[in-house]
Amino acid sequence: MSEKHLSSQFDSDLNNISSQLMEMGGLVETQIQRAIQALARFSVALAEEVMHAEDRVDVMEIAIDHALTSVIARRQPAARDLRLLLAISKITTNLERVGDEANKIARMVKSIVEHGEARKMPIGDLRLASDLAAGLIRRALDAFARLDVNAAVTILKEDDMIDCEFKGFTRKLITYMMEDPRTISDSLDLLFLAKAIERIGDHAKNIAEFIIYIVKGTDVRHSSLPQIESALQN
Amino acid sequence: MIESKPPGGLPGIENKPSAAGTRVDASPAVEKSWNTVRNPDVPRFLALFIFVLLGAGISSLAFPASPPIGRGVLPGGLLGFLAWLFYDGWQARRLLDWLGRLQKSSAALAATPLPARLPHFWREIAERMERLLRQQQRALQKQRLLTENLVDALQASPNGVIMLDAARGIEWMNLSASRHFGLDERHDVGQAITHLIRDPVFVACLASRDFANSINSIVLTSPCSNAHRPLRLSLRLCPYGADRLLLLSQDITQIEQAEAMRRDFIANVSHELRTPLTVLAGFVETLQTLPLGEDQRQDYLARMERHALRMQTLVADLLVLSRLEDSPPPGLAPWTPAHTLLAACAAEARALSELLARETKTKTHRLHFPETHGLGEIAGNAQELQSAFINLVGNAIRHTPPGSRVDVLWQNNADGSATFAVRDDGPGIAPEHLPRITERFYRVDSGLSRESGGTGLGLSIVKHVLQRHGATLDIDSAPGQGACFSATFPAARVRAQAALPPGAGPREA
Repeated sequence: MSEKHLSSQFDSDLNNISSQLMEMGGLVETQIQRAIQALARFSVALAEEVMHAEDRVDVMEIAIDHALTSVIARRQPAARDLRLLLAISKITTNLERVGDEANKIARMVKSIVEHGEARKMPIGDLRLASDLAAGLIRRALDAFARLDVNAAVTILKEDDMIDCEFKGFTRKLITYMMEDPRTISDSLDLLFLAKAIERIGDHAKNIAEFIIYIVKGTDVRHSSLPQIESALQN
Repeated sequence: MIESKPPGGLPGIENKPSAAGTRVDASPAVEKSWNTVRNPDVPRFLALFIFVLLGAGISSLAFPASPPIGRGVLPGGLLGFLAWLFYDGWQARRLLDWLGRLQKSSAALAATPLPARLPHFWREIAERMERLLRQQQRALQKQRLLTENLVDALQASPNGVIMLDAARGIEWMNLSASRHFGLDERHDVGQAITHLIRDPVFVACLASRDFANSINSIVLTSPCSNAHRPLRLSLRLCPYGADRLLLLSQDITQIEQAEAMRRDFIANVSHELRTPLTVLAGFVETLQTLPLGEDQRQDYLARMERHALRMQTLVADLLVLSRLEDSPPPGLAPWTPAHTLLAACAAEARALSELLARETKTKTHRLHFPETHGLGEIAGNAQELQSAFINLVGNAIRHTPPGSRVDVLWQNNADGSATFAVRDDGPGIAPEHLPRITERFYRVDSGLSRESGGTGLGLSIVKHVLQRHGATLDIDSAPGQGACFSATFPAARVRAQAALPPGAGPREA
């Protein structure tokens, strides 16, 4: 049992966990895509597909947590390895939440279609925000695979765009509600939908922050962009 | 004493081995087939012999007093041998230096020439080594050229190619692949493919290792696809070598779009045919079951006739379209004078305008056609061209309010081409409709155009006819600004009219 063999076994353990995380990421991405398509086409079938696949995301979360526990217990990692494992644990939680949001969107779409009223509402505006959010999650996962700090910082910057879209959409819904109080219940549905999309963007931002944590070792949560950039330059 | 300074004696003696060397140089045939070369040991030992003999000779000449075989000759021969050993080692050293230089500048075999005037034995070694190196370099060059060609060929492929190693890491990818999947072709090498292409279906297929049976390719949306530029990919996994995989991706966006268009087309045709059929069936049932007065019967029959006619025109248009698609493009003959086409077009347009005015009890359109003869002649299928022109003018009449002005223009351009244009002062077309307006059954305002007797195929027919004649269709319009449809025919299909009195004589066939 040479030192090298142990460490290569450890490497393969880490790779395994990363692969599992990526697989979970892929699943969550598909969930978002399907939920967005369900919204665009008002397709109940797609929405139900999303709701069925939710369990698989949960199962993967538990599997990754289990693998993490066993690696930490057996290898007692330090430094970057430890940061990587901790970050994976948190990213997993974030991804699971993203899956939940996708599920929420799907449920909302289903109820909107069943009520058959919201078609007159400004749903087209949500397309852009939802595409942005899906793109952010995809790029966050890409940045994790490549451990690319620059891409992570870009994601942090772009999350603001989704927030702006969300605010604009809220204002628009308010005008609808003021014009015709009968649209209030539909508007509220749409507001929750928009909130779910906005939350997906936030989770992408969290993942990006963990990538910076893994590579640079600095915890950049709850700091402003200029702070993060100056921390990265040091 | 003399033997104590061998470098001084060397140049004179060196001539002999180098003379042997030049002899080999002079016979390149021997040098080429170096397996058959004479034993190179012979000149070397000849040199040894000469050295020893010279040493012994010089020493016996220097000390003539001593007996010939004894103290003078033996040490002289020994010293000669030592001198030879030194000389031989020095030559070997030169060869070694040359090798050292070659190693440092590994590629430049031509830039490091052999050390000059090497004695035959060492020269033979050096030359053989040089030849071996050259051979290997040539083989390597060939191999490199082949590899480069292969890589270039793979890069030129419009399909994405990714080579995966046994651990499913990316070994190499071409430009198309990096574009298809949004990968970085340099930095992503070595990454596990499932970390970057995370689609669950793809990951499951990769994990199943069942590639031989995966005849059905995986279809997925590219990660870089967005609403503006959708990108759908068809992936295939082909195993090769020792547990390696080739991942091929093909852009099937257009194929899928064409498929969707075909589906839409069939759905539209069915819909367009079903509407009048439903009406007809309704009237037939009414006529069969209800006792009706003569007036009502006539009214119903007239309506049935109208719907039957609509179906007839639709089917006729569909047949025209399919004929346009199937038949070969028209040649550069016969030539038809533009004014005959325009005259026929004018007659039909006036008839249509009057018919519409009578039906809706409104004014006719103000139609303006160029009256001059000698507009030139145009080559192609006169019937097709006429139907295209009439379609364009008919559209202008149908889609503008009664009393609008419709101008038909014919213009011979400076570069020899000619333009047929129909301009109206109607409501115009919104920009979002313009890219799709020539699609089959695309209607800007579905209710309105069906009312006025359009089939939704007119502009498709126009576009097809013009394409077959190498012409281009330009639509220039903005809401409230009217619309101008202009067809520009290439110079090859246009010529000035033969000098004939207007309307007289047979035209060239």
